[in-house]
Amino acid sequence: MSALLQIENLQVTFNTRHGQVTALDSVSLSVNAGETLGVVGESGCGKSITALSVMGLIPMPPGRIAGGSIKLNGEELVGASDARLRGLRGSEVAMIFQEPMTSLNPVFSIGDQIAEAIMLHQNVSYDQAFKDAVALLDRVGIPSPDRRARDYPHQLSGGMRQRVMIAMAVSCRPKVLIADEPTTALDVTVQAQIFDLLNEIQRDFGAAIMLITHDMGAISEMADRVAVMYAGRVIEEASADQVLDTPQHPYARGLIDCIPALGKQETELREIPGVVPPLHMLGQGCAFKARCAHARPRCGTEKPLLRSHGAHPVACHGAEEGWL
Amino acid sequence: MSNSYILKRVAYGLILMLCVVVLNFLLIRLAPGDPAVVIAGEMGGATEEMLEQIREEYGLNKPILTQLAIYIGNVATGDLGESFFFNKPVAELISQRIGPTILLVIVAQILSIFLGVFLGVLAARKPNGVMSAFVSVFATIGYAVPVFWTGIMLIILFASVLPIFPVEGMQSVRLRDAPWYVQTIDVAHHLVLPAFTLAVIYLAQYARLSRASMLEVLGSDYIRTARAKGASERTVLFHHALRNAALPILTVAGLQFGNLISGALLVETVFNWPGMGRLAFDSILRRDYPTIMGVLFFASAMVVVANLLTDLSYRLADPRLRGRT
Repeated sequence: MSALLQIENLQVTFNTRHGQVTALDSVSLSVNAGETLGVVGESGCGKSITALSVMGLIPMPPGRIAGGSIKLNGEELVGASDARLRGLRGSEVAMIFQEPMTSLNPVFSIGDQIAEAIMLHQNVSYDQAFKDAVALLDRVGIPSPDRRARDYPHQLSGGMRQRVMIAMAVSCRPKVLIADEPTTALDVTVQAQIFDLLNEIQRDFGAAIMLITHDMGAISEMADRVAVMYAGRVIEEASADQVLDTPQHPYARGLIDCIPALGKQETELREIPGVVPPLHMLGQGCAFKARCAHARPRCGTEKPLLRSHGAHPVACHGAEEGWL
Repeated sequence: MSNSYILKRVAYGLILMLCVVVLNFLLIRLAPGDPAVVIAGEMGGATEEMLEQIREEYGLNKPILTQLAIYIGNVATGDLGESFFFNKPVAELISQRIGPTILLVIVAQILSIFLGVFLGVLAARKPNGVMSAFVSVFATIGYAVPVFWTGIMLIILFASVLPIFPVEGMQSVRLRDAPWYVQTIDVAHHLVLPAFTLAVIYLAQYARLSRASMLEVLGSDYIRTARAKGASERTVLFHHALRNAALPILTVAGLQFGNLISGALLVETVFNWPGMGRLAFDSILRRDYPTIMGVLFFASAMVVVANLLTDLSYRLADPRLRGRT
């Protein structure tokens, strides 16, 4: 049986003033029903572009899906008509964004905004849709939802707004829910509440969740499987436990080493030296070579491919040849 | 929106009007020249004795503050004085002419906002497209060209080359006794050129403004959210984006209303439109002070009312402003 959402060899390019850059390079991912896939990596590694590709929201131009396929329930989304993609957006695939403060339209009440999502995909009256919106607000834990539904976004806190976004995203019971750093902009205590809510929603609605984050804590709490991305490629993929306990790729190890451990005496926070190279300056070989302590000559000439060398798939010459 | 807020705004408006009346009065009195001499001149020369009599009659020999108090009292009771030239109450002169001016100004305002915003939205859809370039060029020309020149060019075009619109007046004399709907169409027909001339300059501004405003709004996160819901491009543009982009447009529309009225003065003169602008223009040439003051008073009142309406509609359009005082 094929996965609910299957991305294969996805290639996304952007035209920039530095010429054409490859934002996603042969990205393959899959998510099954009821499963949570964590996608991790630093800013600019292609996590959000992957999510927007699935939503069909890559701005074109300058962006272009240059190759590969995205299948939802077996249906090909790459090259599907705009009308078809619109029909799927919000109903089959929904997305929660990183910035709850700015992701809601300031001039419409939150009840109206959720009702709109319902009316776009279901043949119901406004009154019914608004009633459903109130029920959804109740479901995501907004107190006195019938009164709150008439409130405007500026009257709600960040955590409340993210709850509204979640209510809106699940309003049509989507099969796939993409959460793009849903808690980055929120307080730590609120973060935990939002994760709990996402877990509950998944249990109730049976949706597959693609959780995009750079927070390893979120991964350990939420994800069943993890894909680590770097410079537009998936460089390691395994179950959450495997990635957290025995990361293979030097970058994945670095990410996990960066988590400060409680109870350990550490004088300074650890970090991975350097930054993600700009996409137009990737050159040949492994994109991580400049920041890698283990880099050897082969890393500068040959791009490592995602392959299994025992434990789980990883794209690293060192892991393949055993000199890490 | 609370009633106390509306009352407060209305009170501000009235205070503002009082200031306008005082300023009007003082400005006119500060201008060089003795009104008594002007009035006497209209009568055909005068002796010192006659001037004295005129000053007595018009109250011009009383202290200036007393004159001001009398004037404010008169304005408050609707008495704007008598025109030196027409020998008729100014209120009557203005009431005959304010209708055509309001018609012209409101039609021009609606035309410029709707057409301008529509062009701006089209341009914002494809910021590098042909429409966008057209809007930029048109806006620059529209803004740079003075209204009286546009008016004269249109008159030349439609009077001689393409005579499909009347270039003068508000009604055809031969249709004075026609049924009301024929007269309405006739007035609308006459309105085309003056309204378009007056609208052009503001239309260009609204197009530019709404293009910029839409571009900014279209890049915001909630637009991405709307698309992620599965909303169509038209819904995204006209429902989600325009409602937000309209806020700065509304502000400017309120501020521009005053300019529109002063623009109407020129347009009315060029097209011989029987409104307040013509009356003001003629009265300035005739030094008909009571009439000038009356026109200024009504023009200010229109601006104050327009700003009040803008303020209120702004709060209706933007929920973030409601509940504030």
